Amino acid sequence: MSLAEPAALPVATSAAPRLNVLKRFTSRFKASLPAYLLLLPSLIFLALFTYGAMSRVLIDALYQRATPKAPLRFVGLDNISAVLTDPAFTGAVVNNLIYALGTAIPSIGLALLFALALARTNAVTSALRAALFLPVLIPMVAASALFLFIFLPNVGLLDHYIGRLLPVLPNWLGDPDVALTAIMIITIWKNAGYYMLFFLAGLQAVPEDVMEAAHLDGAGPFMRLRYIILPELKPTFLFVTVIATLNAVTQVDHVFVLTQGGPSNATNLVLFYIYQQAVEHFDVGKASAATLLTLAALMALTALSFRTMAKREGGP
Amino acid sequence: MLFSRRLMLGLAMAGSMASALAVPAMAEGPTEIDLFFPVPVDGKLARDMGTLIKEFNEGHPDIKATAVYTGSYDDTLIKTRASIKAGKPPSAVIMSANFLLDMQIENELTNLDSLIAADGSTKEKFLGQFFPALQGNAVINRSVYGVPFHNSTPLLYINADKAKEAGLDPEKPPQTWAELTDWAKKLTKREGDKVTQWGIAIPCAYDYCGWMMETLTMSNGGRYYNEEFGGEVYYDTPSMLGALTWWNDLVSKHKVHPPGATPGPAVSTSFISGNAAMMMLSTGSLTYVRDNAKFNYKVAFIPRNVRNAVPIGGASLIIPSGVEADKQKAAWTLIKWMTSPEKSAWWSRATGYFAPNMAAYKTPDMVDFLNKNPDAKTAVEQLDVAKPWFATYKTVPVRKNLEDEVMLVLNGKKQPKEALAAAQKAADETLKPYNAETSLKLP
Repeated sequence: MSLAEPAALPVATSAAPRLNVLKRFTSRFKASLPAYLLLLPSLIFLALFTYGAMSRVLIDALYQRATPKAPLRFVGLDNISAVLTDPAFTGAVVNNLIYALGTAIPSIGLALLFALALARTNAVTSALRAALFLPVLIPMVAASALFLFIFLPNVGLLDHYIGRLLPVLPNWLGDPDVALTAIMIITIWKNAGYYMLFFLAGLQAVPEDVMEAAHLDGAGPFMRLRYIILPELKPTFLFVTVIATLNAVTQVDHVFVLTQGGPSNATNLVLFYIYQQAVEHFDVGKASAATLLTLAALMALTALSFRTMAKREGGP
Repeated sequence: MLFSRRLMLGLAMAGSMASALAVPAMAEGPTEIDLFFPVPVDGKLARDMGTLIKEFNEGHPDIKATAVYTGSYDDTLIKTRASIKAGKPPSAVIMSANFLLDMQIENELTNLDSLIAADGSTKEKFLGQFFPALQGNAVINRSVYGVPFHNSTPLLYINADKAKEAGLDPEKPPQTWAELTDWAKKLTKREGDKVTQWGIAIPCAYDYCGWMMETLTMSNGGRYYNEEFGGEVYYDTPSMLGALTWWNDLVSKHKVHPPGATPGPAVSTSFISGNAAMMMLSTGSLTYVRDNAKFNYKVAFIPRNVRNAVPIGGASLIIPSGVEADKQKAAWTLIKWMTSPEKSAWWSRATGYFAPNMAAYKTPDMVDFLNKNPDAKTAVEQLDVAKPWFATYKTVPVRKNLEDEVMLVLNGKKQPKEALAAAQKAADETLKPYNAETSLKLP
């Protein structure tokens, strides 16, 4: 947005007699013109596909129909309050919070574990890294279609192998108590390998000399992990946490394929709720309002974490 | 990055110029039409559809039809609506028969009366080709909006080998709920607390669950919805309470039905693998079962508690609103061809759906086929007691209002009575805007 200002300013200031200001701007503008020209294609696409869509959502969120054939009318914040009082939405938010915590913590923990175990490069670790990274390469939709067969009650692969050990065979996707966990297991399986990459990169940045000094001082492996490696990995942790949280809100492919938000809304996540409002209920106003709320929450979260990150990096 | 975007922009411009040049050239070629089609049941329907459309194109050089796979019934509705909104509707869609009313309310359907009249036919004559049970979902306000393409009724599938093993006679399948309960008990095998073979499985996933609830409710004397008006459903009624209570009893009291909500493909896989000895499923799965079952099976009418009655299922061909005149004409040619006795019969043999066109059953190939596969007759015979499929304003959300509650019951989270009261309340809320515009809009 601010990038467009210089282009508009010369017109605005030409009416005022403050020529020196005008001159300064035109010369500045001339100097940076090639840069803007180079940016133009990107700006056009951003305007078309990002800012345009966002402002459309903002407008749509303010309008609603009273009855199916009534004309659209301005309702202000009514859509937002309708969303906030909808038990399906609050249910989806709660599910999403459980889902975010239940996927981020285990997958980050596993990723760190994998990275620490496979930090040294040799033939074996390379093969293992590739194996752990494999789920990332499978598209979520294809992976979900596979899990549909793995989770089949009574006759699926999972029941075939571990069913014998359980007293009662769970209906993995058909029981509201279990379904969200099943969905979370897929996400962890899918993402842990991806986050491992960031930790592997982070481990490369741990200074050798500090590690050597610690070694000479007689610090054991646990001490080195606790006092050197983990503090050095802090920026990586922050970054991966942000990515994991964003994934928890934006990845719903498996919900689409496996459960459609069911049974009884047990796996309904916020993005799927928005989809339902928009295409099943045909309620664009409510869908836009829910989108706005989600966007606001995500932006706040991202801003907060990047600020903490900037503070840490600017510190020493 | 920058160069790739520039390149993209250039390509986009070149592309739009090319398409601008191509438009006049296309007008002289065949009329291109899209057909959206769903695959709602098991089997290789997508391949069969390819075969069918190829044959149509070869016989009609002035039309080029393309079949576009659009997922489940629910997905097909969503994609069709999105295309209509985008101003590029497909020329024809195989649409779940119970979505027609909802689409008509939203002005998304082309009224087919004038196309029928242009052929020199009448509505009565045109509809007279199809089984009477199918007409309820195709005619709205005495106008034709859909042409039945493939239809189904729910059936009871029985693993005949397992029945004999349990001392039951598969030639005399259960006819009442009491008999079915008894069969299911005898067909359930346990090792301690663990069930190794279920007596019966009934699917419950979004879409299937509502259809099975309508099946059980109708067999229990009920209606599910108001056939004449899209603003009412009858969820909190004795007939539905009885139906849901019995289904729940099979799960939690008799323990002969797997707990929780099980989707259709899981039920058919379970039946094929011998894990479930009986199942209630669409006739649309019949060919899949015939091709894959390694045991003798038997199909039968859905048993009754009060009366024999089942809803129809399946889909009709529709033309969305906003299709240009020449494409509309081409689509109408395709629709008439696809629903003709020969093609209808071929599709029925390929899929297991019954052929809605009555004359299909008089074609020599079909007579031959039925002699070899008498099980395909059961669905057609059950048509005598079939009734329309529930169709309301916002059919899908109103159906989900019920399905979510049924899933809670099957998972032991709620009692049938309170679940149905909650479903009725939610559905009334969903239907409220439509009633405000119709039944409650008073002078």
